[in-house]
Amino acid sequence: MASNDEGALWSIFGYLISGLLIWGGIGMALDHWFDKGHHWFTLGGFLLGMGASLYLVWLRFGRE
Amino acid sequence: MGDRVRSFQFSGEGFVPPSTADFNLPPAFGHSEYTTKPVFLVFLSIIVVSAFFIAASRKAAIVPSKLQFAGESIYSFVRHDLGEEIIGHEFMRFVPFLFTLFTFVLTNNVFGIVPFLQFPAMSHVGFPYVLALFSFFIFHAVGIKKQGLGKYLRGIAFMPGVPKFVYILLTPIEIATFFIVRPLTLSLRLFANMFAGHLLLLVFITGGDYMLHDSHTFLKILSPFSFTMGIGMTFFEFMVQCLQAYIITLLTALFIAGALADEH
Repeated sequence: MASNDEGALWSIFGYLISGLLIWGGIGMALDHWFDKGHHWFTLGGFLLGMGASLYLVWLRFGRE
Repeated sequence: MGDRVRSFQFSGEGFVPPSTADFNLPPAFGHSEYTTKPVFLVFLSIIVVSAFFIAASRKAAIVPSKLQFAGESIYSFVRHDLGEEIIGHEFMRFVPFLFTLFTFVLTNNVFGIVPFLQFPAMSHVGFPYVLALFSFFIFHAVGIKKQGLGKYLRGIAFMPGVPKFVYILLTPIEIATFFIVRPLTLSLRLFANMFAGHLLLLVFITGGDYMLHDSHTFLKILSPFSFTMGIGMTFFEFMVQCLQAYIITLLTALFIAGALADEH
């Protein structure tokens, strides 16, 4: 089972990164697009991405 | 390196720290970027790996020679610990690829500390990119062949047992993980480790050389410490080099195993 744990470690790492990248990126794009001089969408995007990827990690690895 | 070191001694402008410029070695002949040291090292590594394993397996005996034992140990490590343990009963199809990947990366990494070679080709990001592309295509092809294109993509994008609206949140993350982050982290991890390691050795060894030749007496006395660190870091690098060869092969095996599994 040790190898599976190692696999889980790297998958979790990947999920956390892509959550931040995707939703943080969408937030930044929205801020850039609306151009209101604030960065609330970026912040929201990062938080959303973090939350979603943690949820995803829980779904994949924490449910059983 | 020789020119660098000499230029320190005569310039008298203080220590020039190693930078990315030290990785762009001039072509050995002509002006082509295909005749630089990393390219030759990659070809050399192919020759070394082939020669070693041909020599190790040519006279296979029941009571193995030392050479045969060494070759068989590496092979059985990849086959058993990286193939069978992780991929499961279909592992034999992937052992040739995993074995090639492991020995190729290991040899190229260790070239980073072999005297006179002393350059890890994987510190040029193009080489890890190609290796990651191989892994990328293989693990997706395996998944598509095993499960069918539609089922495979559905398995990636839609996690079972989740309310429908949550997919808006999760599907982009899943797709990005499988198609962007996985190949990217696979290659960047190897690249960054080799790059940083080589830079570290350059700092301590060219730094020690500078202190010895080109500075105050006080620094001259301290220069052995820099060389000692350089030697210590060389051993540390050897560990990192082996570890990174292991990790890229391990992750490739894990991705293949994930693609073969019906349910995630």
